[in-house]
Amino acid sequence: MFQAVSARLAQTLLVLLIVSAASFAFLKLAPGDPVSIMLGSDYSQASYDKLTHELGLDQPIVLQYGRWLADFVRGDWGTSYITNQDIFELAVLQALPVTLTLAALSLLIALVVGIPTGVLAALYRNSWIDVLATTLAIGGNAFPSFYLGIILIWLFGVDLGWFPVLGFVAPWEDFWQGLWHLVLPAVTLGAWYVGLIARITRSSLLEVLGQPYILAAKARGEPGWRVVWVHGMRNVLMPLVTVIGLQLGGMLRGAVMTEVVFALPGLGMMVTTAVLNREYIVVQAGIMLTGLLFVAVNLAVDQTYQFLDPRLRRR
Amino acid sequence: MSEQSHKDKLAEALAARMNRRGFMKLMGSGAGLAAGSTLMGSALVQNAMAAAPKRGGTIKLAWVDAVDTLDPHFTSSLGSVKILNNVFNGLLKVAYDGKKVSFVPDLAEKWEMPDDKTHVFKLRKGVKFHNGDPCDAEAVKWSLERVKNPANGSPHAWKFDQLAGVDVIDDHTVRMRFNKPYAFLPVALTGSTGRAGTIVSKRAVEQYGKAFGRNPVGTGPFKFAGWRENESITLERNPDYFEPGLPYLDGVQILLIKEPTAAVAAMMAGQVDGMSLSPFQFIPQLKANPNLKVYGEVEGNYSYVGMNNRRAPFDDPMLRKAVAFAIDRSAIIKQGYFGEAIPAYTPISPPMTDFYDKNIARSGRGQYFDLKKAMEYRKKSKVQGEVNPVYIVAQGFTGSGGSGTRNSQLLLPMLEKIGIKPKIELLDRAVWTKRRNSGDFDMYDEAWIADLDPDETLYPEWHSGQSWDFVGYNSPEFDKLVSDAEDTLNQAVRKKLYYKAEDILMADAPLAVLAHMKVFKILHKRVQGFQYIPVDLLNLHSVWLS
Repeated sequence: MFQAVSARLAQTLLVLLIVSAASFAFLKLAPGDPVSIMLGSDYSQASYDKLTHELGLDQPIVLQYGRWLADFVRGDWGTSYITNQDIFELAVLQALPVTLTLAALSLLIALVVGIPTGVLAALYRNSWIDVLATTLAIGGNAFPSFYLGIILIWLFGVDLGWFPVLGFVAPWEDFWQGLWHLVLPAVTLGAWYVGLIARITRSSLLEVLGQPYILAAKARGEPGWRVVWVHGMRNVLMPLVTVIGLQLGGMLRGAVMTEVVFALPGLGMMVTTAVLNREYIVVQAGIMLTGLLFVAVNLAVDQTYQFLDPRLRRR
Repeated sequence: MSEQSHKDKLAEALAARMNRRGFMKLMGSGAGLAAGSTLMGSALVQNAMAAAPKRGGTIKLAWVDAVDTLDPHFTSSLGSVKILNNVFNGLLKVAYDGKKVSFVPDLAEKWEMPDDKTHVFKLRKGVKFHNGDPCDAEAVKWSLERVKNPANGSPHAWKFDQLAGVDVIDDHTVRMRFNKPYAFLPVALTGSTGRAGTIVSKRAVEQYGKAFGRNPVGTGPFKFAGWRENESITLERNPDYFEPGLPYLDGVQILLIKEPTAAVAAMMAGQVDGMSLSPFQFIPQLKANPNLKVYGEVEGNYSYVGMNNRRAPFDDPMLRKAVAFAIDRSAIIKQGYFGEAIPAYTPISPPMTDFYDKNIARSGRGQYFDLKKAMEYRKKSKVQGEVNPVYIVAQGFTGSGGSGTRNSQLLLPMLEKIGIKPKIELLDRAVWTKRRNSGDFDMYDEAWIADLDPDETLYPEWHSGQSWDFVGYNSPEFDKLVSDAEDTLNQAVRKKLYYKAEDILMADAPLAVLAHMKVFKILHKRVQGFQYIPVDLLNLHSVWLS
């Protein structure tokens, strides 16, 4: 088991290394540079060259990458050109908690809404309930999150005035205020996941309900809810957890749009701003952090299998 | 000219007058509250209310324009300047009495000109920086020299090109000596971005170094309290501010918003007290909301299409002129600016009243829509048949005056009528800036904003070799006229020089000028005491919440 984990870790590190090199190269290939942005419209070639040199942007790209990597693994993520802020602090201590909170809340909403929807759809297969649930699921999945966000803002923020439409209040500083500020963004981002979870729940449960052990449970005279929620759902959890892990990328992608629309200072907002300003090392930090997150979640998913499926524990 | 009159002449030359209609309109929106009930009584009540401002509270503002740095000597963004004006003071400041923009002493108590090249500023006594250091003559000298010193690389150093030296006469008297008369000085000290006359704390600059822009220390009504990246900037009341009793607010919370739609929604929902700016497309909606006040007049600005003089096809003045006369400005204003602009015939804009030609529409001067004329020029141009110039367009919301991609979309069918079919390249801001600055385009459009004087509207943009002459316009005749105007204090002479310069510029048509635009601030009705100044400022020292 320990061996398996360390092999996975080694694999992971390799993947991250490739990701970092590729993203570094792509960013450098993109036209435009931070120096002309920092200097605004009005600057001389001399001040341009001076700043380029100060930032080390006149050096060969391989050298720049090597330097960045060496510093990065030692925990020195550099300082933002424009804000002069320590990037580790910005990315890990400020932006990451925002995105994680948003993602966790969205996932919670998605589970609470998605699983019962999927179960209902499976139990009343081909009825109007199924059609309604499936339509909602596909709709939620297909609706672009920035558009849904704006619709929710106008409906619940402006017309009804129930929720704040922008800004972030940290739930660890003021729990209820924080939660209240996060409702609309979390619903926006969660809608996408609701569809996914409902669909997987429905199809997996349908498959499971046809299994002999379900028939056996029914034959034993177990109550209907127990058959579905204990015997059935337990076997649905495996594919569900797998999909949730795999689709984390989609969630982080959605988080970028959601954060921009709701003005939340998370990773998505950080990376968007940095890309527009061509702040290579900030973007790089965002990408690495996202990569790490993705890998960590998938490792965790792998580890949960043995809790979900007793047969895997013996290995 | 008597010695004393130098200063008067200068002040007069630079005073930009707003028209009376603008003033009336402004008053109208202020009196809107009273209109429903009976006349005098409620107006008096309102006055009484205005006379007794309420102290305390934090104002929450949605900031949709970019904030690059809070170091006044290095900023290039009006989004920053609007904040900086609440944290710092200059020697002079811009004032507005509802009719006329003028320059009045701020940190200076008195401003004198012993001769036409020397300016003496007597400073207020007892003014302290937020860190407790005294703001005296030494501090002022150090600050001015920080801008001037090429080693510091301030992008605004050019404003002090002609500054020969700064002398400390006593603790509260500073003298600036110039190589020649410098008509632009008051604007250089107060205007636009990087207000060169803004006084910063020497100790704080030395203490924070490059991070000073994230830890600004000034003398203004509000102290900088914090900056959360991509989230908010907070200011708090400066209890030692030199204007007695001000400011009223305890604090200011500035929410940094990328997506203007979100800010408009928050404004409509009453969740914020104001917006630093609004894109044109939201104005009708905001104006219709009874809880909001929309401030905005035509400011000192102009939008235009620039054409690259350095390479074909626009190295041909006839083709450029054809473009200049083929553009239907009224359509641009209706659809590009939602009616919140007026057509521009030349770059000099209405708030520069002493220079703006009020009869320009009937004078035949400048550029305007005349398709017949455009066709004639097109026939005389070197290249006949279809031309396909590269038109670079910046993506996204571009701040005050920015119309996004709308102008380019509107221009295409107009240009097609004279056989020009541009290839539009939609670029993100970073790429667009780089291509514009390096002259890698045939056409581009943008706006110069928050100008107070014809000098800054014409000189750095179109004088050959200047930093914003991206199209490579080069006319020795124009250059001489705008340089002479800069060194002239006589207003009538200056006006003549600028008219001549503009006539040459418009005839050579390195640009096709489009419109003078309104620039907006939106405030909730509960925000009181705001003094509108038509140079894209949002000063909060007199503001209070009811």
